[in-house]
Amino acid sequence: MAEKLYIEALREGLREEMLRDERVFLIGEDIGIYGGAFGVTKGLVQEFGEERVIDTPISEQAITGIGVGAALCGLRPVVEIMFSDFTTLAMEQLVNQGAKIRYMFGGKAKVPMVLRTPMGSGTGAAAQHSQSFPAVFAHFPGLKVVMPSTPYDVKGLIKAAIRDDNPVVFFEHKLLYRVKGEVPEGDYVLPLGKADVKRKGKDITIVAGSIMVIRAMEAAKELEKEGIDVEIIDPMTLKPLDMETIIKSIKRTGRVLIVEDDPKSFGWGAEVAAGIIESEAFDYLDAPVKRLAGKDIPIPYNPNLERHAVPQVEDIVKAVKEILR
Amino acid sequence: MAFEVKMPKLGTTMTEGTIIRWLKKEGDKVEKGEPLLEIQTDKVNLEEECPESGILRKIFFSEGQVVPVGEIIAVITKEGEEYYAEAADEKINKIKASPAAKRVARENNVDLKEITPTGPEGRIVEKDVLNYIEKIRATPVAKKIAEEKGIELSKIIKQEGERITKEDVLEKLKESQTFEERVKKIPLSGPRKIIAEKMKTSKQEAPHFYLTLSVDMTNVIKLRESLSEKIEKINGVKLSLNDILIKAAARALREFPIVNSSLEEGYIVYKEDVNIGLAVALDEGLVVPVIRNADKKGLSEISKESFELINKARSGKLLPDDYQGGTFTISNLGMFGIEEFKAVINLPESAILAVGKIIKTPVVEEDDEIKIKPIMKLTLSCDHRIIDGVVGAKFLSRVKEILENPLEMLL
Repeated sequence: MAEKLYIEALREGLREEMLRDERVFLIGEDIGIYGGAFGVTKGLVQEFGEERVIDTPISEQAITGIGVGAALCGLRPVVEIMFSDFTTLAMEQLVNQGAKIRYMFGGKAKVPMVLRTPMGSGTGAAAQHSQSFPAVFAHFPGLKVVMPSTPYDVKGLIKAAIRDDNPVVFFEHKLLYRVKGEVPEGDYVLPLGKADVKRKGKDITIVAGSIMVIRAMEAAKELEKEGIDVEIIDPMTLKPLDMETIIKSIKRTGRVLIVEDDPKSFGWGAEVAAGIIESEAFDYLDAPVKRLAGKDIPIPYNPNLERHAVPQVEDIVKAVKEILR
Repeated sequence: MAFEVKMPKLGTTMTEGTIIRWLKKEGDKVEKGEPLLEIQTDKVNLEEECPESGILRKIFFSEGQVVPVGEIIAVITKEGEEYYAEAADEKINKIKASPAAKRVARENNVDLKEITPTGPEGRIVEKDVLNYIEKIRATPVAKKIAEEKGIELSKIIKQEGERITKEDVLEKLKESQTFEERVKKIPLSGPRKIIAEKMKTSKQEAPHFYLTLSVDMTNVIKLRESLSEKIEKINGVKLSLNDILIKAAARALREFPIVNSSLEEGYIVYKEDVNIGLAVALDEGLVVPVIRNADKKGLSEISKESFELINKARSGKLLPDDYQGGTFTISNLGMFGIEEFKAVINLPESAILAVGKIIKTPVVEEDDEIKIKPIMKLTLSCDHRIIDGVVGAKFLSRVKEILENPLEMLL
């Protein structure tokens, strides 16, 4: 199987969907000739033309509004918001319109759109270009939220998101774009709402999303040297959340660490933790549920401070050892 | 805010500490840095300083107590701050255990109090419970019974390596029960209920008196020896002592009709027939099959009939005709070594004869010679409502006379 970068697998997924279904089109800032701020859409305008890879002025609300409207009219738009920080500008269109229309029209109208957006810190982009918002959008009924962590997953999940009849917010951590992994040729779709066991283990369950899956995998390798056998679960889709897989794992390991990139307070880690405690897994917990998350601060510009603002590999190693103490 | 003073970790190997002495008492004003208490670790005695200024509100452990590291031992509050000591007491008494540890303990009927915690902050973790259970080895039956009866296997102490058996669990169950609980209840029914009813009525209605005398059985033994073989030839049954007793009693009863009578609804009813009942002990109670017209029957006939009746009784095949209509009863416990006893009258009969064991006894003869003789004691229980002492005495003496001169049975 060929090794590909996350960004390549994502592009491949978009391209294959555009070839498969002519209703699929891309819209966003600098996604055409420039190929997108991070280069995700590079080459697509040459292949599909400006009608299907549309560059826009700088107005997130307008871009998202066009997406919602086009979706209502039967197209399958893939909107790119250059930084997830800017999704705040698209809130009205996405949250009040896109997320609600299908419900308010009794299912007679649907909004099959995808809003793709890069998120996360670690690139020195400071407080307004480094935020991670999956938990924010997971809070709104009517939206699905996906945050793939590997090249294989991102291809399978972008296809699932495009084919879904509901608005899907698709988060891509910037540091993942350069991550390599095996990606099979051709068409495959991963189901939304299904978690993936990224690593089998028996001592502790780590529930990690997006970039934190990569860090947890590294931490697991280090912990393995000390005889600690870590299981890693990647929810992949944050909403709907696959608690079943998480609960099943905890019933075996009895311990859980949740690692997220978002700020800790009111984050999705809290949601997972509460879900565990509310479930039958409660009686299998052998240690308190622990969360590692971003600090409740704006992401600092200083690279050292920026690094400390979100969990790193060593933080995960330390937290696991504390739980297993 | 209330400040919790915890058992400090005073060395890398320290897991618990003993409180030697409190240098302050509840209610004292304390200053940060002044000595609060003395603690003994596995290695040294140390003075622990007050970690906060305020009022020492609550001391949870008294001197001499051993406390795990991290456990709250005292509370200091600011002056005038409200403090709910009760809630804190409850907190201290609660055993810290992970949900998994609690579940495993619950599933295996283990008391968390028995388990030494190894988890962080003195928490019992699943592994602690599993280690504890691992040490308790029990047979599957023992485990099952323990679970059913709610017995904690951990409370049963066995030698290292030995398994807890069913008997150990049952023993433990007994210990945990009160005297009232250590019983087995079976409803009173069937033959037992009838016997209970009849015996109670007898003792309530019939004023019993008792007469005892000794019988020289020399001649009966001789008679039995000389007739036994012949009778066996006739009917295939060995002549028993009871058969001879039945015959002798029947003979005497002919001469004392009042003893063969009964008191029924204001009448003294004299019975024409002499029907002798023989008490036969069975597992489920007593039955009294009846030899009809024993006075008119020979020993051979009596022995055959009693043999058959006893067999029927033992196999539970007695018909009402076999046990109804008795006029007098003989009860013999001699074969069980009983020397003499007093029987309860089998109403409506008016007397019962209790027979003891034949015992070789030194007897002083008329000529003051001492001879060893086979002596048997007979005790007659009489219903005083119809039999007076003298009548009873005469009857019993007559039985004795017949037994000592068994040829009289031929009269």
